Amino acid sequence: MVGDSDSLMNELYNIMAFVLIALPLMAALVFMVLPNLTSKSYWLLSSIISVITFGISVFLFMSYDTLTGGTQFSFTVPWLDQGINISFGLGLTGISASMVLLNGIVLLGACLISGDIEKRGRDFYVLLLTLGGGVFGVFLSSDLFFFFLFYELAVLPMYLLIAVWGSSTDFGSFTRSKEYGAMKLMMVLVAASVLIWVGIIAIFVETYLHGTPTFAFEELRRLSENGLFSVEFQNWVFLCFMIGFGVLSGLWPFHTWSPDGHVAAPTGVSMLHAGVLMKLGAFGIIQIGIVILPLGAQTWMPLLMVLGIVNVIYGAVSAMSQTDLKYIIGYSSVSHMGYVLIGAATLNSIGISGAVLQMFSHGIMTALMFVLVGAIYHRAHTRDIYVLNGLIKTMPHICVLFIIAGFASLGLPGLSGFIAEFLIFLGVIKISFWIAALAVLGAALTAVYILRLIARTIVGPVDSSLSDLPDANIYEKIVSVALASVLVAVGVWPALLLDSINVGVATIMSAL
Amino acid sequence: MQYFWLIPVISFIAFIITSLIGNKILKQAWIFPMLAIVLGLGIYCFGLTEYLQSRFDLEHCFRSSVTGMVGCNYSVEWFTAGVRGADSVNSFLGFTVDPLSLSVAGLAIFVALMVQIYSIGYMKDDPRFAWYYSVQALFISSMILLALSDNFLLLYVAWELVGLCSYLLIGFWYEKPEAKEAAKKAFTVTRLGDVGLLIGILLIWIEVGSFNMSDLFTQVGSGEIASWTIFSISGLLFLGAMGKSAQFPFHVWLPDAMEGPTPVSALIHAATMVAAGVYLVARAYPLFVQSEAMMIIVSCVGLITAIGAALICCVSVDLKRALAYSTISHLGLMMLSLGAFGYTAAILHLLAHGFSKALLFLGSGNIMHSIDDLNINRMGGLKSVLPATTILFCIGALSLAGIPLLSGFWSKDEVIVSIVHNRNIVFAISSMVLVFLSGFYMIRLIIVPFFGSPNRDYSHAHKLPFVMLAPMGVLAVVVVLFGWIALYMPGAPASFGTFLFYSHPKNFHLEPDIAIITLVITLLSFGFGYLIYVKRFSIFQNMRIKARLIIEIVENKYYIDELYQILVDKLVLPAAGLVALFDRILVNDVGINGPGYVTRTVGSIIRHHITGRIYVYLALMTTGMIVLGIIWLGIVIL
Repeated sequence: MVGDSDSLMNELYNIMAFVLIALPLMAALVFMVLPNLTSKSYWLLSSIISVITFGISVFLFMSYDTLTGGTQFSFTVPWLDQGINISFGLGLTGISASMVLLNGIVLLGACLISGDIEKRGRDFYVLLLTLGGGVFGVFLSSDLFFFFLFYELAVLPMYLLIAVWGSSTDFGSFTRSKEYGAMKLMMVLVAASVLIWVGIIAIFVETYLHGTPTFAFEELRRLSENGLFSVEFQNWVFLCFMIGFGVLSGLWPFHTWSPDGHVAAPTGVSMLHAGVLMKLGAFGIIQIGIVILPLGAQTWMPLLMVLGIVNVIYGAVSAMSQTDLKYIIGYSSVSHMGYVLIGAATLNSIGISGAVLQMFSHGIMTALMFVLVGAIYHRAHTRDIYVLNGLIKTMPHICVLFIIAGFASLGLPGLSGFIAEFLIFLGVIKISFWIAALAVLGAALTAVYILRLIARTIVGPVDSSLSDLPDANIYEKIVSVALASVLVAVGVWPALLLDSINVGVATIMSAL
Repeated sequence: MQYFWLIPVISFIAFIITSLIGNKILKQAWIFPMLAIVLGLGIYCFGLTEYLQSRFDLEHCFRSSVTGMVGCNYSVEWFTAGVRGADSVNSFLGFTVDPLSLSVAGLAIFVALMVQIYSIGYMKDDPRFAWYYSVQALFISSMILLALSDNFLLLYVAWELVGLCSYLLIGFWYEKPEAKEAAKKAFTVTRLGDVGLLIGILLIWIEVGSFNMSDLFTQVGSGEIASWTIFSISGLLFLGAMGKSAQFPFHVWLPDAMEGPTPVSALIHAATMVAAGVYLVARAYPLFVQSEAMMIIVSCVGLITAIGAALICCVSVDLKRALAYSTISHLGLMMLSLGAFGYTAAILHLLAHGFSKALLFLGSGNIMHSIDDLNINRMGGLKSVLPATTILFCIGALSLAGIPLLSGFWSKDEVIVSIVHNRNIVFAISSMVLVFLSGFYMIRLIIVPFFGSPNRDYSHAHKLPFVMLAPMGVLAVVVVLFGWIALYMPGAPASFGTFLFYSHPKNFHLEPDIAIITLVITLLSFGFGYLIYVKRFSIFQNMRIKARLIIEIVENKYYIDELYQILVDKLVLPAAGLVALFDRILVNDVGINGPGYVTRTVGSIIRHHITGRIYVYLALMTTGMIVLGIIWLGIVIL
């Protein structure tokens, strides 16, 4: 009997990656057929689900053995092998370990924070869990076909989540309706994923023509090392990937879907959007683009670096003159994702580790910011920084955490953003002094708009119309304190994440 | 010494405890920070004795071939990023104990202790008493870390954290619009300088492959680094130092920083944090001395700052702001000294100035506490109301003016000696002008508020509690004795110059001719001040009217703040607005909405041929066939 339960545990251990993806997706399916419950009960159920997925993601992260490295928790089931060789393959690498952890944290936060959703509760949580499961799938897939499937699964629910539960805002000189935000987001992202799909098909056809048809990462990587893909081929396909994935990371000039999406989206969705969805693009570039198409990467990386630094400066400067809290954070995300892009574009191990750490750090930080902005908006019914003022008097909890998030955003040492950005700077300065100088300047520009935001809305004399607003409720408190603790923990002890990231980066570097 | 890392850690723990439970024990919130700093002082004294007695035979201590001083290093790994062994970056949590770090850390701990005791009285009625003490604890923690760190990355970490504390404490009364603006300004301006510092650190890593200071200095010493690189790295580091130490043109934040509570001004904006820039240049001195051009730049920036700020100080009517300009001026003097190879002199002056200026700020805190006003023209005759404060303030002021036997005299003398010896006549004369100005503004700050006839009714003045006067008394004793001890204390170290030095120890001694000249100039400035502010000679009144324009320019701080404001309002913000507009109209409305609009428009135009009438389709089909036929024929024939 003991042996049986041991082997059961082993079995369970091995399919943990699968469980992580299947659980939220299955829950979404079950919700659809469940009799109609109240919104509150769907919230409770999906919170429980996300607590479990959080637990599993922590477990996966902790169990990833940094000494062995490589792909762990592998799980492969052949799916279509009639000369096409598609298999459902999962696996955890050093990079995806921290990304899975990020999604576990943000998904849990987004679920807990969405307790106030009244309208069509079931549909909301079905979509939210689908999104979350899709993101887990992207990070864990080891097969291009399913990678793309999960990618679409993660992106598509955004449309409905924004269009149905979002909010429209009138900015005086122009308006942004939720339908517009949702439509634009969807159009841009679908156009981008067409490029990715073209790239994936091209890769497949190339392998097919050489008699070794496959979609599996490991196999493709081996083929690539054997010189299957010519330089011209890699140049074309990598360009498709770079633009396609780049768009999802807010690559300039295809970034406007992101701030407008934030403005329209409800809080929980904004958290997932900026916290994990934008990371999928950078993850694709690093984990697929660079590994399978290293020569193409070398060709295009200068361009990506230039575009990335445009992201950094342009995003920061745009944020400086915004008046809506969500626009400020939206453009701030554009700016911070620029760091991820230039970090990836360095193609050296320090820059890429920095990029991955920045993905994690920015995901947590921006999720925290959206929790707090959502809380402020929920109470004050405005996000205009010229209307809000002196909030710290009435909402000390929200404001103190907002200040922490803000300082993480401007790269204060002791919080996670600093180490990530610093590593990216180190990676970049090995390539180009001037790009690095501009990147450092970008961090100083961040200070300008973050401090402006704090000075306008949080401190100063309080307006009488805002003086009796309540502070954070218990869920907002739990989520925000937890997210802030992660920022501090990673900032003080970056080795927590860097140990596994380093291992993942080593795998990538060996492809170059 | 190996336990020095406990000093910042204990204070950090005090910060966390006080932040969490401070409001529950509001009036007793000072206990944990104070306990932390007393413990810190104990560890420090223990380590100092150990260093002095046995630095030559301890395991981790060795004499640096570059600086000639004995340093003890302790470190553990912090993190590694990248592929281990191949292309990676290793960073360490390491600290170094050498005379320089011991001096600055000692100053920080001691002044912080005095200020924290003082604050029990000064801040006791503040609703955010607990918050005040927790940030103070965080500040001590980061300031000690800054002084002790043995690598540039850790130094940068601490550098930013002290900046954060400064930001939080300047904006302590954040309901006041001036306070929140001042906090924002301080952080933003210093952050601009930090861009240079951070890029400098990145360049150091590129050159040396580590952040460790002694690695850098060894390589610099062996001549492996190109002189142009040395110049650019030291220049970039100096940008950071200029921001932190409020050197021209980054000086604008410090006077505004006086919006914070006065004890904070004493600790952070007079004695410790603002001196961090000077400390950085001293720390990286092996780098700076390799570049003659950089040394001249340091001297020039120091001189311009010192004279410019001293002039403003002579006309400022706000006591705290006047002291702030005096701080800027003295920081400039330290930079000037460093640029003139007066390494030891600069650090000695850093310490002497730290003690004296802390005393002066606490004195102005006393005035603020009792009459709630800082305009010196509305004071006068304070000596009968605040006799103890008057004496203590005078000790600090006379020390900085350079009156013999007080600590400022010795350090200033050493600074002037190095300037006269190592720089040309222009610098020498300018430094004499500086001596005159600093004597003049100090005597002005003594005469106008404390002596003469009262300009207001003092009957409502608050009494000063003992807890505020006692730490000032201790500081005053140190101000009186410090220079004497540092230079002539019997036993080891024989003099400060054999304790803290660059490349070779030197015995400090008074140069009588220079000492006499500076003393005469100082006394002259006192006489001048006496004639203007006590005797009120009409000739000076007339001069004042004639020189109205110049005085107005100085009173308006040379319009530098206005210039920056114009730059921000007319250049930066409109540019940002333009980018945002560009983003919305061109990138979004044209670039993203455009294709959508075109698709829709084209669709709505070409759908008109879908009429549902058979003969229309038939006609279109026939036309198409004819056109295709013609094309085919054309191809065949041609």
